[in-house]
Amino acid sequence: MSTTKRPMSPYMLGPYYKFQITSVLSILNRLTGVFLSVVTAPLLLCWLIALASGEEAFAALSVWLGSILGKLVIAASVFCFSFHMFGGIRHLIWDAGWMLEISQVRSSGWLAIAGSVLLTVVVIGAGL
Amino acid sequence: MSMQNPLARVRGQGSSGGGSHHWRSQRYSALVLLLLTTWILWLGVSLAGADYATASAAMSSPVNAGMAILLAGAVFYHAQLGLQVVIEDYVHIAALEFVLLIFVRFACLVAFLISAIAALKLVLGT
Repeated sequence: MSTTKRPMSPYMLGPYYKFQITSVLSILNRLTGVFLSVVTAPLLLCWLIALASGEEAFAALSVWLGSILGKLVIAASVFCFSFHMFGGIRHLIWDAGWMLEISQVRSSGWLAIAGSVLLTVVVIGAGL
Repeated sequence: MSMQNPLARVRGQGSSGGGSHHWRSQRYSALVLLLLTTWILWLGVSLAGADYATASAAMSSPVNAGMAILLAGAVFYHAQLGLQVVIEDYVHIAALEFVLLIFVRFACLVAFLISAIAALKLVLGT
């Protein structure tokens, strides 16, 4: 029997494990975390560097941030932040030993989805 | 020399001598970020579309500079811990995993240092 061909994480989801709110939110919490680390945090760093570098660099970054792509990246960043924050709050609650019944895990999951959509709309609306 | 850990040590903390350190660090930095990110949301909303003069005036405030440095520290620490777990879980080629883990640590440290220097430059003037 070959041991090298065994399916490994994350390829278990889908063909081997049924998608459900618990596993989908878990993987999305990781994906949004990766997005925040690889896109959002470096973008904030770029903003700070541009501001510290002077007017010309800041103006160039502002033009990019105002473009369609820039606006998309900002919107995605706000959503990923909101989602990861509510997902993180769920984890902290579980770590305290609370809300661990499967029905509570499901309802807190839907609450986190609703909360992250709402917070995204509020933040983007306030920034417009 | 025995290759096995004494049972007493395993019972206490596991073979690494500090099994829960990574896990606890991730939670503590998450709690800190819950507080600090409210500041960046507020700053981001209030400086959306701002020109250079407005933005640099905001970042010349000691409070904003301090918050920026604290946030950068917490963000890049939390990012390093999170990316580490993702790499350990999903990168199954040992050499690539090793290189990525070193790279992430280094990149997060450099990112924090640059953030701190930029924020200090803005608050102290050139």
